[in-house]
Amino acid sequence: MVNDTGQLYTMEGVAAGLIMLLTAYIVISTTSIYTTGDTHIPDMQLEQLGSDVLAMMDTPNSVGGKNQLVEFVNENSGNDFKETFLKYCNARTSGDDDNLHMSANVTYRDVSHGNEIKEHQFVKPPNDGSWTGRESAVRVTRWVQLDYQNPPSRDPYGSRAQAVLVEVLLWRA
Amino acid sequence: MARMNEDGQWIVLMGLLVAVALFFLALIVNQSALVGQTTAEGVLEFPKNDIRDLREAVFDYVRDYEALRNNGYDDDVKNDVIAISLERKNAVVNFAVGEKRDVSGRDLRPVEIHYNNGVTEYDETVYY
Repeated sequence: MVNDTGQLYTMEGVAAGLIMLLTAYIVISTTSIYTTGDTHIPDMQLEQLGSDVLAMMDTPNSVGGKNQLVEFVNENSGNDFKETFLKYCNARTSGDDDNLHMSANVTYRDVSHGNEIKEHQFVKPPNDGSWTGRESAVRVTRWVQLDYQNPPSRDPYGSRAQAVLVEVLLWRA
Repeated sequence: MARMNEDGQWIVLMGLLVAVALFFLALIVNQSALVGQTTAEGVLEFPKNDIRDLREAVFDYVRDYEALRNNGYDDDVKNDVIAISLERKNAVVNFAVGEKRDVSGRDLRPVEIHYNNGVTEYDETVYY
């Protein structure tokens, strides 16, 4: 009843079955992680742009010249900071302006109140109703060193020489 | 089954080879998605800008070191950087500035910078 003809067909069937099974497994396991790799690329680019702009603002125009970022923090002129920052972000040769928004705060250490770390809101988020709180924002930071300043002291940092951290949240709307 | 013959075995064998080749191609596609994801995550997680920023801050500090020390602000500024790094960047940071010494004919200060955010550790000794 049982003979050994057609053994090759049996082997082929087993091989084909295994291959189909493994292929199905690979296909199913591939789809679930398809897009995660590239969703962060625009974020990375935006972060680099913001970081470069802050580095540019932190560089004096000439040797011994004025440093824009330090001036803005010293004078607490958040609106000027915002305008300059967004202007540099959009410094391109052609094309429409990118629809970028930002908010910023400055973190400092208050030695007169038990070395507490405090935050000062430097640039408020836009209040035109476009702020949802769910923006896909990136954070860029820059250390700023403030020199000693004679009283009346700059608010709220105080007059001592100190290092403060400027943090900018930047997002595209 | 009785009428089976063994003609055309080459065709069967080639079919098997093509199937195996397709299997490996599918494996490569599968791995490439995974590689792309881990690379992007690695790039995002690596605190390149934080470390550059810290170095700039330390160099600014060293540039004004004498003036800061004469006015008694050197420890204050250093503690600002250490405390704010821990609070806002989750990074343990320290740096030390040594006395000036002769380096190839120039008087420079040795500066040690340490940075550790739990994932990435960075240590540097630089003359500035």
